[in-house]
Amino acid sequence: MYARRLAVCLGTLAALTAAGGAQAEWRDGGEVYDKVCRYCHEANVGPVLKGRALPEEYVRRVVRMGNRAMPAFRPTEIDDATLADVARRINGSEALARE
Amino acid sequence: MVSKSKAKVLPKGVSAADFDKAVREIRAIVGDEHVVVDEDKLAPYRKIMMPVPDDQHELSASVMPDGVEEIQRIMKVANKYRIPVYPVSTGKNLGYGSAAPVQRGQIVMDLRRMNRIIEVDPELCTALVEPGVTYQQLYDYLQEHKLPLWFSCPAPSAIAGPVGNMVDRGVGYTPYGEHFMFSCGMEVVLADGQVLRTGMGAMPNSNTWQVFKWGYGPTLDGMFTQSNYGVVTKMGMWLMPAPPDFRPFCIQYPDEADITKIVEALRPLRIAMVIPNAVVIAHTLWEAPCTPVKRADYYTGPGAIPDEAVKRIQKDHNIGAWNVYAGLYGTKETNDANWKIIEAVAAGTGGKIITQEASKGSQALEYRFDLMKGKPNLGEFGLYNWRGGGGSIWFAPVSQAKGAETLKQMQMAKTILGKYGFDYVGEFIVGWRDMHHVIDLLYDRSNPEQMEKAYACYDELLHTFAKEGYGMYRANTAFAEKVAATYGPVKRDIEKRLKKALDPNNIIAPGRCGISL
Ligand SMILES: Cc1cc2nc3c(=O)[nH]c(=O)nc-3n(C[C@H](O)[C@H](O)[C@H](O)COP(=O)(O)OP(=O)(O)OC[C@H]3O[C@@H](n4cnc5c(N)ncnc54)[C@H](O)[C@@H]3O)c2cc1C
Repeated sequence: MYARRLAVCLGTLAALTAAGGAQAEWRDGGEVYDKVCRYCHEANVGPVLKGRALPEEYVRRVVRMGNRAMPAFRPTEIDDATLADVARRINGSEALARE
Repeated sequence: MVSKSKAKVLPKGVSAADFDKAVREIRAIVGDEHVVVDEDKLAPYRKIMMPVPDDQHELSASVMPDGVEEIQRIMKVANKYRIPVYPVSTGKNLGYGSAAPVQRGQIVMDLRRMNRIIEVDPELCTALVEPGVTYQQLYDYLQEHKLPLWFSCPAPSAIAGPVGNMVDRGVGYTPYGEHFMFSCGMEVVLADGQVLRTGMGAMPNSNTWQVFKWGYGPTLDGMFTQSNYGVVTKMGMWLMPAPPDFRPFCIQYPDEADITKIVEALRPLRIAMVIPNAVVIAHTLWEAPCTPVKRADYYTGPGAIPDEAVKRIQKDHNIGAWNVYAGLYGTKETNDANWKIIEAVAAGTGGKIITQEASKGSQALEYRFDLMKGKPNLGEFGLYNWRGGGGSIWFAPVSQAKGAETLKQMQMAKTILGKYGFDYVGEFIVGWRDMHHVIDLLYDRSNPEQMEKAYACYDELLHTFAKEGYGMYRANTAFAEKVAATYGPVKRDIEKRLKKALDPNNIIAPGRCGISL
């Protein structure tokens, strides 16, 4: 039964044999924030960044240098232009809504 | 000779003139913007968490190729000038060396730009990926294409990737948690520039590269893990069909000595695959920082946190002395049946079960439950708020899955850590018959005294464990040589002979895992 249910699950997708092959790129700084920064900085791991008008230069520097336990991120991970967008968004962001 | 080189450090035995020539030739291969020599711009590669000076792992340059052919050509240049290159994939080997080279002066070959998900086969449940692919990227891809497939990932899943993790023989938390075991087929650029596809991939026109691991003759894949015999440029991996019913749970136990009965009760379930995933048995002090609990709220004195304070943390925050994480993966019917076994085991051993419904609101439980279904997050980075200061090295001996052994290892580790003023922050990750006993030696890297103590502590841990016959499953780059030495001379001699045969100029990551000419 398990097998049949799984077969139903996957069967319809067989045609999709997904061949990607394209080099992945960030859509914008917002995507980087959501897919990287947020995991710590909105999760009680690292300090909250939004709503503090953090200087863009400071954000860019900490991302490249790391800071204590925060890992450093290389341009191959987040390119300069996208990082600048991350910094701009953080700088101009509203404070996080409190639950 | 006057050095005109912009490089701050040079590889051992390489002149500035030769280094500059090599860099010029490499620039011609990958493009100017994909080679960095400028000291400031190399900062992200330099950040390490190990208790040794940054200087010891300083790089001379980084090169960021995109494609197998570029790597083949870089190998030619590296051979010509005898320049060592240190490949990293996503470069997030945090606490094991990060993206910095094993030896000072090596050029880091950063493969993060090669981030193509080449193929996902939803019928055979396999994927073929490049080294720069992150688990988050693969997760998004599967979601976007509505493919009900799961993978196993390590805790820093959002920023790390399957190739780098697998070549260092990392582990995760689903039934596919022993990552090398569930990889299938590699493509490797060798030091002489040849490209090897392992297993069935060696055969022209084969379509079984990602489904049958062994091929014909000696199976070579293992040689390219925890080694420096090649640059892995593609890797096949198996994906798991998302089960119709997934039931993660935690069982909490009140006493440190309970580890004995926990292991005795769980081993049979794990070996029989009633529990199919890599069970984690986490100590209070692993859970506390991820909950999060602040150490300073419980102890501000010198040395390791006393047992009495740990007891208070358990009580105040509903954390067990040990916290067992596992899951059932099946249909409702099979999981209902197996759940009865889990309940009986918990009741028989004095454990308290916490279900998914009851876990809501606990960060520590939620990130674990997500990891058990391969959902990326970074919840475990909470560990670093415990001592602060960004120092961390993983001490990771292998243990038999036997209660008495785990208790002995835990007590040995706790005693040695305590002697240097460090806390026991540990967990056991259960394979089938083994356990990875993973301890995070957390210290303040901005405090020179703690740096020194952390180094000495790891050294003592390593040698004391080795004396008892306990070896590491994996080690950081600063201790690669010492850890390799604990495995005896014959193995090392063979590794050296292989290195000589495959990489006679010693250009791929010399020193990695103690292998060098
Ligand atoms: C909080 C925390 C929790 C962690 N939890 C886990 C865990 O659950 N499980 C686990 O396994 N690890 C864990 N780690 C350790 C580590 O972060 C992960 O293993 C991570 O996946 C390794 O980094 P990476 O994937 O970026 O690999 P990389 O850093 O890219 O690679 C690791 C090493 O392999 C070699 N290498 C990489 N790519 C290649 C290549 N293409 N060819 C040849 N050699 C290569 C290099 O020597 C490199 O240094 C944890 C770390 C932290 C900070």
